[in-house]
Amino acid sequence: MRELWRKMRRTGRVAESAPPKPAAGRPAGAAELGGSVQLRHVNAGSCNGCEVEIASAFGPVYDAQRYGVRLEASPRHADALVVTGPVTHNMAEPLRRTHQAMPEPRLVVAVGDCARNCGVFAGAYGVAGAVADILPVDVEIAGCPPRPEDIVEGLRKLTGR
Amino acid sequence: MNTAATALCVSAAVGALSAALALVVPRSLRPGIAGGGTAVVGVAAVIAGVAALAGQTFSVTWESVLPLSGVSFALDPLGGLFLAVTGAVAVAAGIYSVGYTRGTLDGRVVQAALPLFVVAMLLVPSAAGVGSFLLCWELMALTSLLLVLAEHRRRPEVASAARWYAVMTHMGFVAILIGLLVFAAAAGGDSFTELRAHELSPALGGLVFVLTLTGFASKAGIVPLHAWLPRAHPEAPSHVSALMSASMVNLGVYGLVRVGFDLLGGGPAWWWLLVLALGALSAVYGILQAAMDADLKRLLGNSTSENMGLVLIGVGAAGLFASAGQLGLTGLALAAALLHVLNHAAFKTLLFLAAGSVLHATGTRDLDALGGLRTAMPATTVFFGVGALAASALPPGTAFVSEWLLLQALIHGLPTSGVATAIAMPLAVAAVALTAGLAVATFVKGFGVGFLARPRSDAAANASESPLSMQAAMGLAGVACVVLALLPAIVLPAIGAASTYGDPSASGAVTMQLTAVAGSLSPLLIALALVVGAVAVLGVLRMVVTHRVRRTARLWDCGAGPLSPRMEYTATSFAEPLQRVFDNVVRPETDIDISHYEETSYLVQAVEYRRRVPDRIERRLYGPVLAAARGWGEAGRRLATGSVHRYLGYGFYTLCAALVLLVIAW
Repeated sequence: MRELWRKMRRTGRVAESAPPKPAAGRPAGAAELGGSVQLRHVNAGSCNGCEVEIASAFGPVYDAQRYGVRLEASPRHADALVVTGPVTHNMAEPLRRTHQAMPEPRLVVAVGDCARNCGVFAGAYGVAGAVADILPVDVEIAGCPPRPEDIVEGLRKLTGR
Repeated sequence: MNTAATALCVSAAVGALSAALALVVPRSLRPGIAGGGTAVVGVAAVIAGVAALAGQTFSVTWESVLPLSGVSFALDPLGGLFLAVTGAVAVAAGIYSVGYTRGTLDGRVVQAALPLFVVAMLLVPSAAGVGSFLLCWELMALTSLLLVLAEHRRRPEVASAARWYAVMTHMGFVAILIGLLVFAAAAGGDSFTELRAHELSPALGGLVFVLTLTGFASKAGIVPLHAWLPRAHPEAPSHVSALMSASMVNLGVYGLVRVGFDLLGGGPAWWWLLVLALGALSAVYGILQAAMDADLKRLLGNSTSENMGLVLIGVGAAGLFASAGQLGLTGLALAAALLHVLNHAAFKTLLFLAAGSVLHATGTRDLDALGGLRTAMPATTVFFGVGALAASALPPGTAFVSEWLLLQALIHGLPTSGVATAIAMPLAVAAVALTAGLAVATFVKGFGVGFLARPRSDAAANASESPLSMQAAMGLAGVACVVLALLPAIVLPAIGAASTYGDPSASGAVTMQLTAVAGSLSPLLIALALVVGAVAVLGVLRMVVTHRVRRTARLWDCGAGPLSPRMEYTATSFAEPLQRVFDNVVRPETDIDISHYEETSYLVQAVEYRRRVPDRIERRLYGPVLAAARGWGEAGRRLATGSVHRYLGYGFYTLCAALVLLVIAW
């Protein structure tokens, strides 16, 4: 325990200073959430590259949580759905159900090129389509995988902070 | 003859008659005659008991019936209370058995033994002499043994359970026999009046008390003499389980109170400290075992051990206060104990009958294979729910009232003199509190896993509601539970009369006001407040919610598809956190067997996981005794080889030795 305290004291603050607020691209309905947005993440068929970057975005360096977003364990508590990967046939129905399970108003964020337009998997036999083919997408974050800074920027469009 | 005597005679006569009739009538009529007869016996016994509690006592002696001692019966308020409790349980069990035993358990002996068992239990608290008491006690043991054995052809466990029961109940009987005979020999008479008048020396009194306590504690299922109880109670037919668990074990308490308080006239503090310690141990250990059990009836059996432990805490505290001269507190503690006997009888009857109804409909007692009975068996579910609430010592429940009284007695006993009391009382309070908490967890498990959620097996899915007679019997017990929970003040005067130390309560019909200590309780008002609170919360929610748009959504199942019963909480998984907390006490055993494919040891073919929670006290205490007995048997077998020549040789040499001895001695 004492070792932990010492380490915390020695390390200090590692978060990077906040970049300027994204100027445009705030989706309709995001203002209703009042700057606090709970997220539910669904991996619809991703290679896990985007997951690693999301984890990094919520880590101590990029610290997405200071802008008012939080990852949740249940869609029942979530305001926005974060989807990664091209939507595979197996995950299409669970993705729809997860979206239905969320209370309204609800937003959808497509993270990564695969989620936006199927990326390198476009036209593959197991892929049902991009996220936009299944659900209405409000925010898109580009990149393969997207950099944590981009993810944080995209999520800041939801909270407006 | 007064009402009490007439009613008792009627009940004994009806019992004997219905037993005799059950032996001769055809199969289809037997359940009706034996069950109906038992119910009538019960009603008559309740009348006799209430009359005795109201002050009608009687005493009869027939010198010629039994050689040497004769048979004598008498009824006083203490006996009357136990008579009434036993009778009331018998009414419910008798009615229940009509539907329960039809077509499955309608053998001659089983049917005839039921009314006889009830009559024997009624005669025990009416007996007024050592000979008659022991006679009735043994009759009760034998008839109940016959009933426990009822299903021995169907399940091999029944025979083993009955063997345990037979051996332990007779060991207990021997202890009581020796104790009472020593007492009778010292007093120079057989009747309780003579025993009461005789003053024993402290050493002899202690010996008599410890011997009889051993016997009575084994009948009441007190740890460490409880080993038979969680075996025999589940294996007996359910109406018999109810009779055994709700009335037969009470007679252990009756014996203890009768011998300890009445015949021996109280005693030194160490007697009652022993009783208190046994009670506390039994309460905590019993409910801990119950919390681990996945077998519904075994759970109820272990809970009986727990409740008898609570009663013994009350009896022990009463004795302790009496030895310190605190008569007000003595009355309060004894009244709490006797009220708990009454309450336990009510809710345990209900719970065992409801468990029997489940067993009747599904053929299983395993909680891990039940569930989802709420839709198929609504009446049974309601009754079990009422019983579970009554047993879990929460405010609108039955057990709460008596445990509250018990806690009042224990807490107010703190300032009484003596180091022993000052140490014992807080420990007893802690034991009662821990027991109450564990009881809640146990009955939440029993009700939630057994009746709610979805069925875990085909048997539970295809269950159907029990016949009307079984529902009626459960209804009777349920009404008794509710009345005792809401209006305990109406039985308190009777309890006060039975405890011979006066009425503990200056009661209105709604509020109990204790006279010995400052304390009052109004169960009815608590229940009303709970109902009003629940309605108010629901009303406020309604008002808030109606302003919003409501949307129906699919049940959240992780999006993956239908939930299956295999995903549900089971009794075992529900008890797992508790088991982990009490790991050092219960010592669960787990085995994991992993088998691999022949071709390679890297691929796992099957994993088998087994977990058992053995009774640790039983293993430590009974294991060595059983091993020693087996060792003696093995040693004896070397002498008895089966050769006739050898046996003839034994006879010859014994005869010669006897002759030589005679020649030398004379």
